[in-house]
Amino acid sequence: MPSSSGRTSKRFMPFQIDGTVVQNRQIKSVYFILGIHCPPIANLIQPGQFIMLKISEDHSPLLRRPFSVYKTYPENHPAKEKRGCLFICYKEVGKGTHKMTTLQKGKILNLIGPLGNGFTPPPLPSSANIILIGGGVGIVSVYPFAEAFNHLKLFVFIGGKTKKDILCVEDFKKLNSKIFVSTENGSLGFRGTVVDLFLSQRKIFTEDKKYYLYACGPMPMLKALAGKIKSRNFIAQASLEARMGCGFGACWGCVIKTNHSQTPYQRVCKEGPVFSFKDICWD
Amino acid sequence: MRNNNLRIKIGKMVLKNPVIVSSGTFGFGEEFEDFFDLNQLGAVVSKGISLKPMVGNPPPRIFETEGGLINSIGLQNPGLQEFIRNKLPYYRRLKTHLIVNIFGNTQTEYIELAKRLEGVRGISGLEMNISCPNIKKGGIVFGSDPRMAFHLIRKVRKATTSTLIVKLSPNVTDIASIAKSVEEGGADAVSLVNTFKAMAINIHSKKPEVGNIIGGLSGPAIKPIALRMVWEAHQAIKIPIIGMGGIMKAEDAIEFILAGASAIQMGTANLINPRAAIETIQGIKKYLVQNKIDRIQTLIGAFG
Ligand SMILES: Cc1cc2nc3c(=O)[nH]c(=O)nc-3n(C[C@H](O)[C@H](O)[C@H](O)COP(=O)(O)OP(=O)(O)OC[C@H]3O[C@@H](n4cnc5c(N)ncnc54)[C@H](O)[C@@H]3O)c2cc1C
Ligand SMILES: Cc1cc2nc3c(=O)[nH]c(=O)nc-3n(C[C@H](O)[C@H](O)[C@H](O)COP(=O)(O)O)c2cc1C
Ligand code: FES
Repeated sequence: MPSSSGRTSKRFMPFQIDGTVVQNRQIKSVYFILGIHCPPIANLIQPGQFIMLKISEDHSPLLRRPFSVYKTYPENHPAKEKRGCLFICYKEVGKGTHKMTTLQKGKILNLIGPLGNGFTPPPLPSSANIILIGGGVGIVSVYPFAEAFNHLKLFVFIGGKTKKDILCVEDFKKLNSKIFVSTENGSLGFRGTVVDLFLSQRKIFTEDKKYYLYACGPMPMLKALAGKIKSRNFIAQASLEARMGCGFGACWGCVIKTNHSQTPYQRVCKEGPVFSFKDICWD
Repeated sequence: MRNNNLRIKIGKMVLKNPVIVSSGTFGFGEEFEDFFDLNQLGAVVSKGISLKPMVGNPPPRIFETEGGLINSIGLQNPGLQEFIRNKLPYYRRLKTHLIVNIFGNTQTEYIELAKRLEGVRGISGLEMNISCPNIKKGGIVFGSDPRMAFHLIRKVRKATTSTLIVKLSPNVTDIASIAKSVEEGGADAVSLVNTFKAMAINIHSKKPEVGNIIGGLSGPAIKPIALRMVWEAHQAIKIPIIGMGGIMKAEDAIEFILAGASAIQMGTANLINPRAAIETIQGIKKYLVQNKIDRIQTLIGAFG
């Protein structure tokens, strides 16, 4: 569980370890769920943290690929077949993720994790209102946080290009959450971006209350959102994406520009992937 | 088999094995301590250090190509003072050699770096990255002009008693003549290669794939060219060569040693498999046993 003070982390040291594929199935169009049996990482990983996956043993692709963990099941979980497993939900976008779609049950994969700093929860005890905003596959990065904070009131905004890009709705329905959906072509829910959707519901969020907002999605979405949540009653964090060379802080390849005066370029893999909205330089 | 059969001497340093982790790909060491015991390494090279802090290049900074990696990190580093204060203490605790990689924009900056690192506890050697433009000479890269390289090395040589390694740029027409002038300038060893200048364009956005447009290519894609350059340097000079460029495993390392390298460095491999260097040491040991080779020394340049 995330600690009550500051960052989610209690930083656990990352492992480099093999896991076994237990499942790899298409859920819709270009979205897949990959299940990996890997108890050490499944036991420790916190919402918002990620793993680096070596997709193939040869050099194609050469680098590992970063993925958030969507669901995890500790070793004492009642469902025996899920014990010690972690699940990632991935979108097929290029060479590496294409190769991932061919992974078969039983295949051994090398993983590094848990990596990065996860979401910082609201201070305890809390009756805080939580807003989750996910664009496209970004919603899977915030889902574990919702699961961990199911006792609080959750407002969930899910957006995508078309209805085929809307993920996790069934998952959120099982939680104590109010769900809003948007698609850019209007094929499901509100027509527009998830940021437009959020703005359309802005009146729910009154100035006299504090809202803890957690977002993940493409950079343009986060940037648009950043301009709309400057008021003080939003305590907002974003999980960022960047191309990664290593994932554990060694190469400085994954940086993002922040408002830090001495070291403006901070590592998404090490100082992030979750940053406070106000620390990022959005221009 | 004796257990010092992997020992190798580079300048004043005696390495317990010839496997070194390269500059810029091994952070400041600490990032790897969760994965293996760093004391097993022949040596570690620090991230490149300049006199003043450098913020580095705008993102995106990396792009994967077929079997390779283009990076334009832009030598982001906290500067010499911060390095000595906050990064060196960690290295001092290690039971392996630390080689500090340095770079400057002028001759004076290199000399100043060497002087200020002279006698600092915990540093076994300096590796001069001369793949940087000389701003006083219209931006000609130090390592691309044999005369400029010679004068630079001679001056830095006078400023330091540490083992002085000069890291060569592969972006030259004649690596042998550069290696020779570096030797004449007084270097204890050369290391090669640094990354190859490279670029990639996204045809959909029509934008460069790395923020700086041009970056440096590393990884398996460059190995055959790097190997050729090591062999050319080996034929030209007598000081030890530290070979690198796309070494991912023990077999690659042995190839470089056969081509004339006394030791090797691994870079990109660390990012993909943080244990790559340690597995390479084990692989080299195994090769020696299987081939009944007593000392690694006898393998250097022993091909043909
Ligand atoms: C912390 C973190 C968590 C992530 N979690 C998930 C997740 O849960 N599910 C998911 O589907 N994806 C996730 N991603 C994105 C995922 O890593 C990339 O989609 C993947 O690396 C693409 O690999 P590829 O070889 O298929 O694409 P490539 O062929 O390498 O590139 C195809 C396209 O994807 C872009 N891309 C490549 N690498 C990344 C990257 N690391 N981040 C963003 N875009 C990238 C490229 O710029 C290009 O436009 C995450 C990224 C980060 C940094
Ligand atoms: C991300 C990255 C950062 C690097 N930074 C430096 C540096 O600061 N100084 C330097 O001399 N070489 C630097 N290099 C070059 C490597 O040390 C090495 O010479 C090169 O990558 C070739 O070896 P490889 O193919 O094993 O990676 C860097 C390489 C990479 C990939
Ligand atoms: S990916 Fe290498 S430092 Fe972040």
